[in-house]
Amino acid sequence: MKVTRRALSLGGAGLAATASGVARPAIAQSEPIRVGWLAALTGPSSAPAIGFDRGVRHAVDAINAAGGVRGRKIELLVRDTQGDPTKAVNAAQEMISRARVHAIWGPTNSGESLATTPIMARAKMPDIHPCFVDSLIDPAKYPNAFRLAPSNSQIDDAVSDYGVQVMKLKRFAVIGDTTGYGTTTVASSSAAFAKRGADVVYKATVDATQPDVTPDMLRMRNAGAEAVAVWSVSPGLISRLMNTRADMGWDVPFIGHPTMGAGEVGRLIAKPENWRKTYILGFKNCSYGPDGKLPAHVQEFVDRTRGKIELNDTILWWVLCGVDAIDLIARAVQEAGSTDATAIIRYWNTVNNYPGLYASYSWSPDNHNGLPQTDLVMSEANTQRLGAYKLAPGYA
Amino acid sequence: MFVAIMMSGLAIGAVYAMIGVTYNVMFSASRVMSFTAGQLGMLGGVLGAAFIDVLGMPAILGFVLTLAACALAGVLTEIVAVRPVLKSLEQHLYVLSTLALALMIQQFVAIQWSTEPQPFPRLLDFGGGGPGDEKFWLPILACLVTVVGLEVLYRHTLVGRAFLAIAEDNFAARALGLPERNLRMASYALAGVIGGLAGFASGQLLLAFFANGALLNFYGFVPVALGGLGNNRGAIISGLVLGVFQQAANFTFGGVFASVAVFAVFIVVLLAAPQGLFGAPAQRRV
Repeated sequence: MKVTRRALSLGGAGLAATASGVARPAIAQSEPIRVGWLAALTGPSSAPAIGFDRGVRHAVDAINAAGGVRGRKIELLVRDTQGDPTKAVNAAQEMISRARVHAIWGPTNSGESLATTPIMARAKMPDIHPCFVDSLIDPAKYPNAFRLAPSNSQIDDAVSDYGVQVMKLKRFAVIGDTTGYGTTTVASSSAAFAKRGADVVYKATVDATQPDVTPDMLRMRNAGAEAVAVWSVSPGLISRLMNTRADMGWDVPFIGHPTMGAGEVGRLIAKPENWRKTYILGFKNCSYGPDGKLPAHVQEFVDRTRGKIELNDTILWWVLCGVDAIDLIARAVQEAGSTDATAIIRYWNTVNNYPGLYASYSWSPDNHNGLPQTDLVMSEANTQRLGAYKLAPGYA
Repeated sequence: MFVAIMMSGLAIGAVYAMIGVTYNVMFSASRVMSFTAGQLGMLGGVLGAAFIDVLGMPAILGFVLTLAACALAGVLTEIVAVRPVLKSLEQHLYVLSTLALALMIQQFVAIQWSTEPQPFPRLLDFGGGGPGDEKFWLPILACLVTVVGLEVLYRHTLVGRAFLAIAEDNFAARALGLPERNLRMASYALAGVIGGLAGFASGQLLLAFFANGALLNFYGFVPVALGGLGNNRGAIISGLVLGVFQQAANFTFGGVFASVAVFAVFIVVLLAAPQGLFGAPAQRRV
């Protein structure tokens, strides 16, 4: 048999192709699982991401220490987006094109997510995030995007349910700050109260830097409000509302945004009692029951990680949500048997009542909002301890 | 209800009035509208909280140090942002230089202090939170002290008369041997003290917040425009009226519509009297 140079070249190329074809899955099965983490770790809206980050790192370390997922370690690629949508877009593109991550967790604020979600959808990149804006989840437009936290509609429903059905009140004032968030939420929250047959007797936005809110509070009282729904992330405005309520001697409850329970508000109020009768959106798994304990599995986690995860200066649900995000990615790789994007998304679409720390999640091909309405509760704003709050009256 | 709105309006109006006077004092000495006026007010609140709450100083010492630091910031404004552009006033470069310095001060405070509002300490613990609370009385009292102090300074002291002389005609004042540059620096220091006093006295209302500077710059400018540039009496009256009108509009219209009402009136007044309600039409030699 005559061995020609052409035959040798073709044979060599064939062998090389066969070898690479065989070797590729072997390499893929041993390479790390690359998880992108789009985190606003610095800048004015960094507090949540710092909390999420503690949970994320704990979960990654725990999984890797236990041998990884199917023998593969998790490699975390963190990019600080600084709360800036432009930086988030750049980071997402870099993760997709250069770092070639297998899944992305984040961004963790809606402004960034509105910018990155279409990009990740085009790249079919599996993404889970905790952002509230309703339009960020749409299984038809963004089949790759899954939500761990409540949507704004769910929050509106939870707060108005508490006011109307638990507190048995009928007349509400709804106010927010003049940001885009405040303005839109005043409208949606008012609609949620009206849907439950309550009267929205006062509806307004207030500039967060307004030095004195006495006139606004007088208008609410004169309108006959029995409770005030507050939608603002400004501790300055919130503390002014609380101080004015006390100065007026008006015993009206405040219900609404979790920022009303933030430590900054506690520092700005004139007296500790001004913080009473304030009920914020909370989560069943992150609330102390009448026995002063969290649900058993969350209490066990908090006890186990005491001294390892700092909880005194953050919010518990941020940390737990970070842990769940990594666990859900790891579980997807475990169940799907690969880091293929389609396989991860296919698994997430079948998740039903997944027992996370922060909540029990369920997703389906038609519903990518994972948090059940029943996990949303109201908490007493002035009871924060280790990042968690006491359940508001009416749940015991 | 009426008393609550009046007290709140007068208190906020007093702060606007003092920032207006801060603008005027700097303008009189240099013919420059310095946009650091609001930042001096912001510094008064932040430094007061820093000295008393954070460093634990007695309130009186904190007050004195705050005013001294604000006077220094006033002098710095003169040296850094005003003096270099005085030779080309007609080009209005001072708008850029003073705005740039104002932004630098604001960003520095944001980085070193906090981007969130911080509490300002109770000073006299007087009033119990109602309309008679010290948070309303202190700005009004500070405004009154400013009015009386400026009246005494300008009418009964030699230095005050020298200030008036350079405000009236700085070439003639220089020809008479007055140290124009030193007097200008002293005017900026005085403006710093008035701005700092406004911020310190209103600390419990506005809180110690880096973004207060922009707010005060904006609302402090309205009394200057309404009262007539360089007219302190006009600024005081316009500032107080602005505060009361703003709070009354808050009560009547509510929320953001109050700002619309305030600026609608502002525009109407300026259309009717471009030189301000208390200002005389500018005279020009022909």
